Amino acid sequence: MTMQDVTNNQENTVMGNASLGPSDPKETLGGRIKARVWRVLLARESTLAGVVLLLVVFLSFASPYFMTPGNMTVVGRQIGLALIISVGMTFVILIGGIDLSVGSVVALVSVLTGEFMVVSGLPPAISVILAIACGALVGVLNGTINAYVGIPSFVVTLGMLAVARGLSLGITSGSTISGFPPEFLYLGQGSFLEIPIPVWIAAVVALGAHFVLTRTTFGRHVYFVGSNEEAAKLSGIQVRRIKVTVFVISASLAALAAVLETSRLSVGQPAAGNGYELLAIGAAVIGGASLFGGVGGILGTALGTSLLLLIQNALILLGISAYWQQVFSGVIIVAAVALNMWRKKRN
Amino acid sequence: MTEPSLISMHGITKRYPGVTALSSVNLSVKPGEVMAIVGENGAGKSTLLKVLAGAINADEGHIEVSGNIVNITSPRDSQACGIAVMYQELNLANDLNVAENIYVGRELKTRFGTVDFRAMERGAKGLLAGLGVDISPRELVGNLNIAMRQMVEIAKALLVAARVVVMDEPTSSLTEGEVETLLDLIRRLRQQGVSVVYVSHRMREIYAIADRITVMRDGAVVGVRDAASTTPNEIVQMMVGRELVDLYGVRTAPLNLHASPALEVRGLGSGSLVHDVSFSVLPGEILVLAGLIGAGRSRTAMTIFGAVKRRAGEILVDSKPLALRTPTEAMDAGIGFVPEDRKNLGLFLGLPVRENISSASLSSISRMAVVSDGRDRKLAKHFAGQLGLRLSAIEVAAGTLSGGNQQKVVLARWLARKPRILILDEPTRGVDVGAKAEIYQLIRHIAAEGVAVLVISSELTEVLGIADRILVMREGYGVGELDARDASENRVMAMATGVQEVVA
Repeated sequence: MTMQDVTNNQENTVMGNASLGPSDPKETLGGRIKARVWRVLLARESTLAGVVLLLVVFLSFASPYFMTPGNMTVVGRQIGLALIISVGMTFVILIGGIDLSVGSVVALVSVLTGEFMVVSGLPPAISVILAIACGALVGVLNGTINAYVGIPSFVVTLGMLAVARGLSLGITSGSTISGFPPEFLYLGQGSFLEIPIPVWIAAVVALGAHFVLTRTTFGRHVYFVGSNEEAAKLSGIQVRRIKVTVFVISASLAALAAVLETSRLSVGQPAAGNGYELLAIGAAVIGGASLFGGVGGILGTALGTSLLLLIQNALILLGISAYWQQVFSGVIIVAAVALNMWRKKRN
Repeated sequence: MTEPSLISMHGITKRYPGVTALSSVNLSVKPGEVMAIVGENGAGKSTLLKVLAGAINADEGHIEVSGNIVNITSPRDSQACGIAVMYQELNLANDLNVAENIYVGRELKTRFGTVDFRAMERGAKGLLAGLGVDISPRELVGNLNIAMRQMVEIAKALLVAARVVVMDEPTSSLTEGEVETLLDLIRRLRQQGVSVVYVSHRMREIYAIADRITVMRDGAVVGVRDAASTTPNEIVQMMVGRELVDLYGVRTAPLNLHASPALEVRGLGSGSLVHDVSFSVLPGEILVLAGLIGAGRSRTAMTIFGAVKRRAGEILVDSKPLALRTPTEAMDAGIGFVPEDRKNLGLFLGLPVRENISSASLSSISRMAVVSDGRDRKLAKHFAGQLGLRLSAIEVAAGTLSGGNQQKVVLARWLARKPRILILDEPTRGVDVGAKAEIYQLIRHIAAEGVAVLVISSELTEVLGIADRILVMREGYGVGELDARDASENRVMAMATGVQEVVA
């Protein structure tokens, strides 16, 4: 850029007369495909995808049970349930927040589903909607306190973690609720085209979330808020509204997962969802999300979730005691982040 | 020539993939000398300083201290050689007090092995007194202004018995008065035999203190001059490699003085920082808010933009009073605002330039809340092209651009909304000379197209160079309005400081 360029620019007007039609067709095809292929290969997700793929190949050789339909169904359902929660967590982490209450929301909604459906005898559809609405309400509270009172999300949701868990224990006096109608149990236990229903739902949730984050104005706003909250405010973005929405998304998705989990286990229980928040945070972080906000995506989170749960499955199949599982999960989370930081530094 | 160099760097070369940041750079500094390093952003000044500081290791070349070759591979090595580096972003802990900051990493111990706060406070007091600054060693650094924090940094450098203090654009966020204090301090350091390496864009400061000037361009040294025998114009020409005709440009379209003001502010008040400020800006006019830092100018701008609460007064856009309670309302009224602090208030540093440019115009490039990729790219390319940004740069993270280009990205964001009123808070801070000229040209253009432009500036030459009219603020009040043709640096300074006459 030289003075010459500036002088040349004088001929044009600086205030845009850009006609904002669709982009010209020349760059839409060949060039764009090529660019896209490169972008895919260079994306931080590709390393992770390679690791997940290697793990799958290794497991299919290492254990005769891994590729069996039975095991696949179990693993698929677990990944599906965890993914729904991790997707919500990704939204919160993208704005630079954290939601520690999702595990407790799972418990609360699990118990409420039982209360509405079994104890009060409401129709299954109404019960499910009511229970998820209650979960969403937790998100409204989290988001409002965080955005309008200004208490850090870590603290707000840490409090909510205790409150929601306590409510679910209080409502049931610590006992479990069973006796769900069979049409409700199909939600968590049934399959469609030989693929478990929770996997379908998780796929729809993940694809929808990916679309929202990458293509919509709301998605852009989420990244803006996470990248620089002050700049977002001064760009006319309703930062508080975005924050509340994001916490509602996180809590609602946790509630959805709770309904599926309740149906899968045929029991509403106050102990449900214990430790799910750490799994979800771990999955997002392995997937490349930054806890400072503004960086991350659904694809990474999906791969992170798969990696964590495949490892759990591997340990079971390879006969390693369940007591050791958390050690592996912890090491993987830290190692993945270290790898990400190292890659960033090298660039 | 006979005097041996205290520090000399020989043939320093640093390559990054695709670029040579430094190619065979030589730099020598004599004892008690103030050596200025000038050059546009990207010329390699910061890289060179980082090599000297041990933060970056050079690929080739060596460094001598007092004639002995030294091996500087870490900041610790550099400190051990008596080199203290003050970066633009000061490395102080805001929640610790002055004494603790000065002694960080070198805490004094009592004989029980605990930290001896009292001895540190005494030592800090002595160091600060030696610098002629009056700061309590117990004050929290977070409570000090930037000038005072720099004094603390300098005291810290003196504690390690630095023989060379390196300062990277130390005055970029200081007021004129604070600059004077710093320059005095540098003179005092020189008297004590300490050498100073001083990086700055500002010719006036350089000529006030430098003994010699090293000019860099594109990663190489283009010349070393004695300050006494070179004019600022020659230095600027060496820096940019071409002649700068007129930095500020001139008004191209006549101003319609009978038009009704695009923006009018009556009796504006906000908190304890802005009182009873009134002014108006015509379409196509450039009004500059001048004054010292802390005079309430930024607060005035933020209040107009709805970013801070208005306590009193009226804001009229096209003669209609508007509430403007939020930035969104101000934007809807056709106001754009480029904040002073690009990194913290302006940019999404980790996100691509394209997304930064379209961030305030998303509704115009989306349908049913879905952003059109094609229109997004087109918008970004259009404005990147107009503002002279490389088109290939629209997908890189905004944080990787130089200061000048970052400023253009923020400008592009607002131009994309076609504002009728544009507020620019310190638009050329931290921007090199070449990019400055471009930004002034842009401001001229924007005004020529009928936009009412409100510029906040603390640099007097800039104020006088760009303004049609000048409103001087002091301690939250508008203290006077000047036509740019009748204004002089002295008059503006006198009004800004409240003294009758300032001796130049």
